[in-house]
Amino acid sequence: MHNNKFRGGWLISVLLLSLGLIGCPKQSPQPMSYGSTPSTSSGGSEMDESAVGEDERIQERVQQEGEGGPLQDVFFSYDSFELSEEARQTLQANADWLQNNAEVKVEVEGHCDDRGTAEYNLALGAKRARAAQDYLITLGVPAERLSVISYGEELPQCTDSNESCWQRNRRGHFSVLR
Amino acid sequence: MSWRGLTLRMARLGILLTVSAVLAGWARPASAQIRIEVPEPGGAGVPIAISPLSNPDSHAEQQIGETFASTITRDLTLSGLFRVLDRRAYIEGPEGFVLDHINFQNWSVLDALALVKGGFWLTGERLTIEARLFDVTQQKQLGGRRYIGHKRDVRRMAHRFADQIMLFLTGEEGPFNSKIAFISNRVDGRIKEVYVTDLSGTEVRRVTQDRTLSLGPSWSPTGAELLFISYKQGGPYPFKLDLATGRSARVYARIAYGASWSPDGTRIAVSIDQNGNSDLFLLSPQGQLISRLTYHGGIDVSPAWSPDGRRLAFCSSRTGSPQIYVMDIETGQSKRITFQSAYNTDPAWSPKGDRIAYTARSGGFRVMWTDPDGGEATHIVRGEHPSWSPDGRYLAVTRRGRLYLVSRDGQSLQQLTGGSGNDTSPAWSPRLP
Repeated sequence: MHNNKFRGGWLISVLLLSLGLIGCPKQSPQPMSYGSTPSTSSGGSEMDESAVGEDERIQERVQQEGEGGPLQDVFFSYDSFELSEEARQTLQANADWLQNNAEVKVEVEGHCDDRGTAEYNLALGAKRARAAQDYLITLGVPAERLSVISYGEELPQCTDSNESCWQRNRRGHFSVLR
Repeated sequence: MSWRGLTLRMARLGILLTVSAVLAGWARPASAQIRIEVPEPGGAGVPIAISPLSNPDSHAEQQIGETFASTITRDLTLSGLFRVLDRRAYIEGPEGFVLDHINFQNWSVLDALALVKGGFWLTGERLTIEARLFDVTQQKQLGGRRYIGHKRDVRRMAHRFADQIMLFLTGEEGPFNSKIAFISNRVDGRIKEVYVTDLSGTEVRRVTQDRTLSLGPSWSPTGAELLFISYKQGGPYPFKLDLATGRSARVYARIAYGASWSPDGTRIAVSIDQNGNSDLFLLSPQGQLISRLTYHGGIDVSPAWSPDGRRLAFCSSRTGSPQIYVMDIETGQSKRITFQSAYNTDPAWSPKGDRIAYTARSGGFRVMWTDPDGGEATHIVRGEHPSWSPDGRYLAVTRRGRLYLVSRDGQSLQQLTGGSGNDTSPAWSPRLP
């Protein structure tokens, strides 16, 4: 299981500071009313302000794929979480680097192309992340240094409708947590 | 053109409307029958004239009467059952909305079979609307409704009257006093929030402000709450959002991919990550584990309840590709019901229980339906992620990042949302109060 409090730690702090995001007011929802009481007027523009929540850094994290350093992505076939020979070679190189950088913790992200349904792709992304994680463990990377998360089709690298773009999106990505 | 003559009685009037009163002329003897014949969606449609409402007291706030008429016009056009006649052709003005004050010749020359007229009154912010439906040929009032509320509720009143027109002319209430929840990244491309729109597509409201990824909204049976998946606490967890307060709370402390409320509100079916694989579980609405439903090594996601709450349709990759299955919850037995394509997902069980719509990949994505016991698969429309209207006559789908409403035979298709960003995962609410 991943740890949501510390994921992305230093990297995200730098990112947030550089974007000036820490300290921005977070907007909270305008109450809606249903039923016979009058509803509020038109859509979503009126909001209250409130303090920045503890979650904020994680939320901003979602906007930007985590940095993997020298760790390379692995790629999958459509609707598959099988590791190709090429993916295994990439994972071997990633495992070697992780062996030489024993303090590094990594979150393995599973991603999908956008052909398919969001929910199925979330589950498929989890399988991809898990397949990559399992293989790294068999190569000797301690399990406690690896966590997994699926982003399904939600964070594409590109949005074109062609095979080369879809292929780039069907990936396992490695995000260094430290 | 398949005209289906509908014989309708006037006596089916046990509808309680919190802001309406039955006007004289709505309740009629059971022997009276409407001559207007309503075709299937996609036919030529019943020609109907919809006059703006008039305000007998004042010429101020005329836009209220216009908004009422334009909302009904859009609803009835969406229904695929009507052809709303062009306003510019109307001879008679909005004033004169009771039977004796209408010159039906002015409407029959336009070939209108049905006519909507009415009045409105404002006392401060308080709006009263009286709307009436007439049979032009028989020169009779078919029905009337009075709505009293805040003036900003004019669209809601119009949706309700559109539902009543549908009830009156087809025997079944329309679906227009409902909402559609969906996911959009329209504000910020990499952030997905939950939105709710009315069926005009004009009152679109963002209901989460989480600045993270949100997925897969699902309504509670009362329409008061939404289940959805959010990354706001790290990974994808299931959350419950109270629409009246805007507050959300995590339902269950495990990674989950989708959740769906049972029709009676007592259970939540959820796909939960189980050591890297997703399986289906039942939770109480408070988040207590009730039972585990699937044990396969394949992906099991997208639970969709049968209307009686006894069965679940879901998507499973247990045979190697995603297919739709139906499970008897009591026995745990599952049966595969899709065979035609190698990629079938996102089942949606119709409110009448007779059809399961789903997304199929075969030369692009399309919405298909099949019988809950299996059988032929029938194409409805190109698109994805079907969600049924509460009356089962329509589906909301997503196509190229826009929401559309489509009649269940696929003949009538109307765009609901537009603008920037991708709008996906429509979830049609129950009928709202």
